[in-house]
Amino acid sequence: MIHLLHSINSFITSGGEEESMYDIVMHHLTDHTITTGFIGNINEQYLNTKLFGIFDMRITRWVVMLWVAALVCLIIFVPIARKIKNARYGSSSKWVNLWEVLISFVHDEIVEPNFDHHYVKKAMPYFLSIFFFVLFCNLVGLIPGLSTPTGNLGVTAGLAILTLLGMIGVGMIKQGPVGYWAGLVPHGVPAFVIPLMFPIEIIGLFIKPFALTVRLFANMTAGHVVIIIFIYLVMMFQSYWVGIGSVAGSLMIYLLELLVAFIQAYIFATLSAMFIGSSMHAH
Amino acid sequence: MEVLKEGLLKVDPGLLLWTVITFLVLLLILWKAAWKPIVEALDARAEKVRGDIESAEKNRLETERLLAQHRDMMGKSKEEATQIIAEGRSDAEALKNKMLEQANGEAKDVIERAKREISMAKDKALSELKSEVVALSTEIASKVIGKNLNPDDQKAFIEEALTKIRTVQ
Repeated sequence: MIHLLHSINSFITSGGEEESMYDIVMHHLTDHTITTGFIGNINEQYLNTKLFGIFDMRITRWVVMLWVAALVCLIIFVPIARKIKNARYGSSSKWVNLWEVLISFVHDEIVEPNFDHHYVKKAMPYFLSIFFFVLFCNLVGLIPGLSTPTGNLGVTAGLAILTLLGMIGVGMIKQGPVGYWAGLVPHGVPAFVIPLMFPIEIIGLFIKPFALTVRLFANMTAGHVVIIIFIYLVMMFQSYWVGIGSVAGSLMIYLLELLVAFIQAYIFATLSAMFIGSSMHAH
Repeated sequence: MEVLKEGLLKVDPGLLLWTVITFLVLLLILWKAAWKPIVEALDARAEKVRGDIESAEKNRLETERLLAQHRDMMGKSKEEATQIIAEGRSDAEALKNKMLEQANGEAKDVIERAKREISMAKDKALSELKSEVVALSTEIASKVIGKNLNPDDQKAFIEEALTKIRTVQ
């Protein structure tokens, strides 16, 4: 047993002539700037300088994955919109109904409980977009050869920052620029607590999207790490018999990942809706 | 902060900005091309379904009311029909009894009259016979008185008279 642990440890840490497990995991789960082909050319010619000195806009593998997910959204929903609009009594096509069910799900479970009745229609497009974009980002990584865009803190942070901006923006529009910041502190607290409460509420405001960022990232990364390690076990033990177990194990994790992809998209959209919806009223 | 620059936890500002740009472009396109028509169509359909359900409910109530009314009418007409039949039956009974009575009375009258006529005819015949007998007797007596009769003649007369009587009877 100790021998096994020792050998695993040496496999993980050894750089050696073979790739270590750490290298493999990192290779699969981290971003790379694309240097070859058409996109490599564009990177070389137009995007080589950093925008405002901080934003390295060179197109990376993850950016392409984002575009894949966005493209899938467009390919699915633009024709669906036309079909739903034309079928007055509801389409009989299973494909259309599948997406209609998910759209109704977003309406009934995500937007409606968190927004006042007459804002539901205005809020729907944003949450439909965030739900399906995150969902397809999560699912893209389950296709062999592609990667999970949401398994990167930069991507999840970008989406969570939009939620944060949404909270502040909607709050300032609905409650007034001053009213919103004043309304962060709950009513009815004693006056001497306010100097203490205000920083706490400000921190809380930023912790909400931070939690969104980390939750989505960690959930989407963890499953991939486990799948990669299951597969790596075969190479580690140099045995076909281990393959049976590790393929079965990684298949199970894969199915779990499918479930997690839906759950995390739902959670991300629901929490965003909850945060933005609650910023409409002072508490 | 070192951990944010390398490895799994690296936050790449460029990727972050690309994410925001990609998402906002996607949001704009889908908003115009997909979500707006879809949400409108679904709302319109929900509205229509609600209206349909409401009108169906209204129709159901109306139907129930009509059904109750119809049942009521059916019950009433059934009662009426029973009453009419009973009335007709009793009328027929009464008429039958009346006719029977009348027929009986008439028959009795006819019999009575026949009997009366028969007895009248009998009386008449008897009275006629009586007068005949008287005439015959008178004739016989006159003949007896008028000529001396031998016993044979006498006998012949009597027999003749008797035959006459018999034929009259």
